Amino acid sequence: MKSRSWSAKTASTVESMVVEMSAQHPAYDALPADLQSKIFEVFEHQGQVGMRCNAADQRTLLEHFRLSQNYDFLVDVTAIDHLGKDAPERFEVVYMLRALQSNHSFFRLHVWLDERLASLPSVFDLWDSARWGERETHDMFGIVFDGNPDLRRFLMPEDFPGFPLLKDYPLKGRDERRQFPKVVARGDRMVEEEPDPYPTSIGRQMHTPDYIEEVRRDSKPRE
Amino acid sequence: MGLESLIGGEGFLTTTVNGLVNWGRKNALWPMPFGTACCAIEMMATFSGRYDISRFGAEVVRFSPRQSDLLIVSGRISLKMMPVLQKIYRQMPEPKWVISMGACASCGGVFDTYTLIQGVDQFIPVDVYVPGCPPRPESLLDAVFEIQELVGEDRFDSGKHGS
Repeated sequence: MKSRSWSAKTASTVESMVVEMSAQHPAYDALPADLQSKIFEVFEHQGQVGMRCNAADQRTLLEHFRLSQNYDFLVDVTAIDHLGKDAPERFEVVYMLRALQSNHSFFRLHVWLDERLASLPSVFDLWDSARWGERETHDMFGIVFDGNPDLRRFLMPEDFPGFPLLKDYPLKGRDERRQFPKVVARGDRMVEEEPDPYPTSIGRQMHTPDYIEEVRRDSKPRE
Repeated sequence: MGLESLIGGEGFLTTTVNGLVNWGRKNALWPMPFGTACCAIEMMATFSGRYDISRFGAEVVRFSPRQSDLLIVSGRISLKMMPVLQKIYRQMPEPKWVISMGACASCGGVFDTYTLIQGVDQFIPVDVYVPGCPPRPESLLDAVFEIQELVGEDRFDSGKHGS
């Protein structure tokens, strides 16, 4: 099934989609009726089934897949930032599941998450591997997983201030790279000094607009 | 000057204390490898038999900074790794020298992102830079020769960086 237009959020659209989908996908038919109404969309890519739902229904659906459909392995939790895109919400949190004890099938649950809310219930009691997946997603996107006992920084340094995978976070950071003192030996002692100004590496010079213009001019084919 | 005929067959030679100490130091550098990326592979090749850094007396690789006097920073240094590198540098006894090997350690290379240090020389002193991505083992050997020249210029009784 091809993905649909993002305006599928309104109730009437969802209902019409539900009718259409139930005739098409066995994974959707396998859901109990009360859960079927919580699914916006079912899609399949290379044999992997995915569904979209709202943040409010995330916990209910995941409990169903864990306890009733034997998805016993949470491969990863991650998120997508749709800032500036035509999407129903800013964040899309993705749970990747696998059924290792039965038929080894894959399943993905995509959860739309409001930017102002930016929090979801934790599922670490369903899968232990959610502890680290949620911790990494929190580290990179700032999404809070309520109930997760350990949401410390995962990949970034513990005192890092930002959430670097947000689309509005600058690629080169907010000057966190220059927070260290310079360590210098003076005689037999080590002292700390102000760090050097930006190194005189060519890398910095190369990206100025003048330089890029110069390269473009020089790289034109000659007559 | 006739001095050699006076000391005859006893096998003496004349030098200065400074020259003797530096001769020993520069031909017995003990590297501390700080390999974090692909440059470390080239560094390992330099240590191995084909390029054989031990021909120049620098083969005793100690993974303890407290027994080393040459820090080879080979690879990307991230925001989280920089305090570790500084701590290791602090633990090395004087006199000590630092080689910044490859583009990433020297200037960040192509990784101009929030998490990568744009040149370790901002935060620790660097004596010799090795260009390349990654540099050939010959380049690293050349850097060791440069270090040996630097060692030869030192006063043995002062800290390397003066006071």
